[in-house]
Amino acid sequence: MKLTENHSDNFFKNRKKYTLVILFIFFILLFILSNSLSGYYYRILLLFGINVILTLSLNITNGYANIFSLGHGGLMLAGGYTTALLTLPVEFKANTLSLPLWLEQAQVPFIFSIILAGIVAMIVGLTILLPAFRLKGHYFILASLGINIIMINIAENVRPITNGATGLRGAPPYTNIWWIFGIAIFLIYLIWTLLTARFGRAIKAIGKDQGLAEAMGVNSAKYKAYAFMISSFFTGVGGALWTHLILTISPSSFDLLVVFQIIMMLVIGGVSSISGSILGAAIITAILEILQPL
Amino acid sequence: MDLTYIFQQVLNALSLGSMLALLAVGYTMIYGVLGLINFAHGEVFMIGAFTAMYAITGLGFPLPIALILAIIASVLAGVLLERFCYRPVQGSGDITLFITSLAASIGIRSLFVMLFGSRSMQFPMPKYLQGIRFWGDILITDLNLIIFVFTVIITLILSFFIKNTKLGIAMRGVSYNKQTAEAMGINSTSIIVATFVIGSALAAVAGVAWGLQYGNVRPAMGYHPGISGFIAAVLGGIGNISGAAISGFLLGVGQVLFVAFLPSVYSGFRPLFVWIVLFIILFYKPTGLFRSNIKWE
Repeated sequence: MKLTENHSDNFFKNRKKYTLVILFIFFILLFILSNSLSGYYYRILLLFGINVILTLSLNITNGYANIFSLGHGGLMLAGGYTTALLTLPVEFKANTLSLPLWLEQAQVPFIFSIILAGIVAMIVGLTILLPAFRLKGHYFILASLGINIIMINIAENVRPITNGATGLRGAPPYTNIWWIFGIAIFLIYLIWTLLTARFGRAIKAIGKDQGLAEAMGVNSAKYKAYAFMISSFFTGVGGALWTHLILTISPSSFDLLVVFQIIMMLVIGGVSSISGSILGAAIITAILEILQPL
Repeated sequence: MDLTYIFQQVLNALSLGSMLALLAVGYTMIYGVLGLINFAHGEVFMIGAFTAMYAITGLGFPLPIALILAIIASVLAGVLLERFCYRPVQGSGDITLFITSLAASIGIRSLFVMLFGSRSMQFPMPKYLQGIRFWGDILITDLNLIIFVFTVIITLILSFFIKNTKLGIAMRGVSYNKQTAEAMGINSTSIIVATFVIGSALAAVAGVAWGLQYGNVRPAMGYHPGISGFIAAVLGGIGNISGAAISGFLLGVGQVLFVAFLPSVYSGFRPLFVWIVLFIILFYKPTGLFRSNIKWE
């Protein structure tokens, strides 16, 4: 028995011809928006894009693979601090932090710093979560909440590197509309292709019924770890982009509230759906901005 | 680092252990009957502490009456939570329940920040609790002793109650298997409400103890103790009252010893201890240290 739904294969094949056209129109739209929007609305658009990246990457674990994680705030923190440490001005690092010389002098180009941010987030996620994969249901949720609290606690207490609860200031404003939506579209494309491949069928099967999937010969531990790796990589990238937009990060800006907002985007738009994640991100970003003055 | 020092630290930790034990007992009972992590339990704890603080400073009541008022307020909060947050979403899946409880917790906390501001407020301590005793070189505060004795008595009464009375047996039945319990003629809704009443009352006692011990209350105070309490409940085996209480004490004492043995630079790492313990224990024994009273699928 094949684990795929055949109609979705055809659906994707027909759509592929138009994908380039749609992308072209989309980028023209982005170009118009980036030139016409004023500072405040431009910023909201960027926040929306970052939220799309975060929601989509949370969707891989909490949606398709059905491993409900609350730890993505800690992964964002790992990504954000990594990119901040790699790109902060040398004077700030020399005056307020006491870093090893190579890190103090480091001025990494943006593209490498966000990739490194993703890799660090991936390593953090794996080291903490691999033991937790033995747990089921609520116990796993609890353990994943642990990542969040552990990372915030470390960031608050390792003062020489993270500047404690005050956080890091003055990250260069590298983030712009092209980076964010480029990565978002790449992520959408990646999830789209992965879902129709063996990987996607496997994690969807695991998400529906893990016991049954294992009985069909799916190595659930392996695919769950892969799903978690992809998800934490892009969460780290999202955290890095966010850092270069907000410019000031502190441990408390990655607390449970942030994870809760992303989970709301996921649930409102509809779990296990790409368009749902985008819609949910749009709705919650808008609501949060409207409620801001209250 | 002699034996006296260690013993002194253990004694100092008894009150923290007692609070975690009380919270863990409430958590374990509610998780048992409802199958959900009641994140808002930390907020119920905070409501108890705030009510007692306000009853003492604002209305000028003595501490025992303030404690009773705190219990009433917390029980009210717990029952309202059950009625308006958890009952409507019952049976609609883990994630929905989970988000509801998280939302309830954040909502109540934000409401209190709006009403009282996010800074700490002083919790007055009556004179008759301020005494200290010496036992050789070891110093014991009266408050520590009272909180500890009070907690032990409450836990013993409660485990007797759960083991032997009709209501207690019904609670265990519902937490072990709800459908069968209902088929035996147990009204599971009222059992759930009763569980919330007991759990919230214990949280209120813990909240007042927290206020007395640390001298201040603030809206975010319930977050870390609440999560530590749930971890204690997990380690004690869900549904196991004495297991939860013992793990609560272990975590409280362990946290304090963890900090006592590290250089003071690392004292901020105290919350990490419970997580390290959780990961180690769950890795080797995913069902907790003690026997649990729920059905494992």
